[in-house]
Amino acid sequence: MQNLRQAATEAFHRLGLKQRHLGYEELSDLEDSNYTSEPQPHWFHTLQVRRLRVQRSRSNSDPLGGKSFEQEFQWKTGLQFGTATSYLNLEKLGEGAYATVYKGISRINGHLVALKVIRMKTEEGVPFTAIREASLLKGLKHANIVLLHDIIHTRESLTFVFEYVQTDLAQYMTQHPGGLHSHNVRIFMFQLLRGLSYIHGRRILHRDLKPQNLLISYLGELKLADFGLARSKSIPSQTYSSEVVTLWYRPPDVLLGSTDYSTALDIWGAGCIFIEMLQGAPAFPGVTDVFEQLQKIWAVLGVPTEENWPGVSELPNFKPEWFLPCEPQLFRNVWKRLGQLPYKTEDLAQQLLRAAPRDRISAQDALQHLYFNTLPPPLVHLRDTVSVFKVPGVRLEAEARDIFSPGRRIRPSLPLTKCW
Amino acid sequence: MHSVPVATACALYHRFYQSASLRVYEPYLVAMSAIYLAGKVEEQHLRTRDIINVCHRYFHVDSEPLELDSQFWELRDSVVQCELLVLRQLNFQVSIQHPHKYLLHYLLSLKALLNRHAWSRTPICETAWALLKDSYHGPLCVEHPPQHLAVAVLHLALRTYGVELPLGSVEWWQVFCEDITKSIIESIVFKLLQLYDMEAKCT
Repeated sequence: MQNLRQAATEAFHRLGLKQRHLGYEELSDLEDSNYTSEPQPHWFHTLQVRRLRVQRSRSNSDPLGGKSFEQEFQWKTGLQFGTATSYLNLEKLGEGAYATVYKGISRINGHLVALKVIRMKTEEGVPFTAIREASLLKGLKHANIVLLHDIIHTRESLTFVFEYVQTDLAQYMTQHPGGLHSHNVRIFMFQLLRGLSYIHGRRILHRDLKPQNLLISYLGELKLADFGLARSKSIPSQTYSSEVVTLWYRPPDVLLGSTDYSTALDIWGAGCIFIEMLQGAPAFPGVTDVFEQLQKIWAVLGVPTEENWPGVSELPNFKPEWFLPCEPQLFRNVWKRLGQLPYKTEDLAQQLLRAAPRDRISAQDALQHLYFNTLPPPLVHLRDTVSVFKVPGVRLEAEARDIFSPGRRIRPSLPLTKCW
Repeated sequence: MHSVPVATACALYHRFYQSASLRVYEPYLVAMSAIYLAGKVEEQHLRTRDIINVCHRYFHVDSEPLELDSQFWELRDSVVQCELLVLRQLNFQVSIQHPHKYLLHYLLSLKALLNRHAWSRTPICETAWALLKDSYHGPLCVEHPPQHLAVAVLHLALRTYGVELPLGSVEWWQVFCEDITKSIIESIVFKLLQLYDMEAKCT
């Protein structure tokens, strides 16, 4: 009963939110049509409307408050870095280990943005994760990587301005429990591998893949985010700190203490997410220590031997006497959903989730896998910055749950955020 | 401190002064911040306290270590603030490609090319490596791409010991790096030698 009520209030909230958006949408359209004779910058209306509707605590102390376009414009050309006054905070979205994320709006062009405010400790200065995130993201421009618009720098805080993306894969999966539509899984997976292929081509590892870090736009565009743990990989691979990936998505070689990991690290994570999307539950879930996690993996893949994984016995944590003997299982017997889909689905999962890192398929090759054959062919030749949804015929299918309760659905056909 | 963070710190420092003036910003403070920042970038974390103490020791060899007084805390705060300044000046572009890995690859392929005696008679490896390290005393590492630097130090090392490479249809450096020319190598070598002259004048 309580659950039901909660769901109802949630749905109501969502509706309310939508209506507000819609109202605003109409308003700005109206104003647009009024001013068609003189070319006014669109953001101007956006701001006026927004300012009336949203209560902001900061506006009063804001020196640039309601100043003119010229001043904003001067800011844009005059300074390399943004100023806090160019963005408005709207609401808090979440809190991470070293940062708080707010939804915001840009005063320069009216785009919605995500403001990641990084707390700075006076003794230690800028957190190294922030430095890494900024320096890597600055060089990355791809439709499946979250876009870093701007960096705002004040004495006591550092704010990264990202493009605003509505939800993430973890939320999307909670909204649609019991596994996603197989067609949507294919589209998400293609985009995930496309993003990975791009960063791996630039010798960058993400190192922290998990559904929470994969943002999903209302159209279904998937974007890699949170590069706080990512790093660029130099040619003679160094040893990195082995405390990297969240345990559930961590590959067996890293769990065994290997530190010379490479791109195959992210591929394992992608494989886990693939299973999770299909199955509706994490592939290797719910454990707190490394050995339990390994045992979960061996229960599916079998305990590795020197024959099927040369070099495994030299890894620091490899202690065969600690593991229960396990025989390799068929993936379709472990994850039932695979059995209901064509064999190529299981085959891709198997190639992504190989115990030995050198046997794992590369992101580049995985994109060529038969599994993606049913997607329109022009996808393969897309330019980096073009979204897959620009290809005709690519769109998300309704998830099973949406069909039963259409009110809760994020409708892709509705141009809610068209102008943001 | 490993050599990669050291190299990164030097490169950060030189890059900073490419766009900023030596007169405006105190070079020793910038240097300390560059070291601190390099530690973060290359995942070898250093404590500000250690950096300050070591630097203090270096400038005042005979004096006592700094007292933990307000002056120390102020110094530490300014290191942290200066780190922000460096980041800002460099536009957050702090991942640096070092020439060392290229040099290593070039040396390995040279070793396969030359016969073993010629290789063991002359300390090509050590010389080239030392030259490369010394090149970080000057802004060479930010003025030239890493491949060019690696080729140039290798060229100088080979010439110093009079080692001849078998002649092929193209010059050896073109095999390693397509876009380098004789004149680029010469200019890098010239700048490097100038650095040594400057060093000699100072002492």
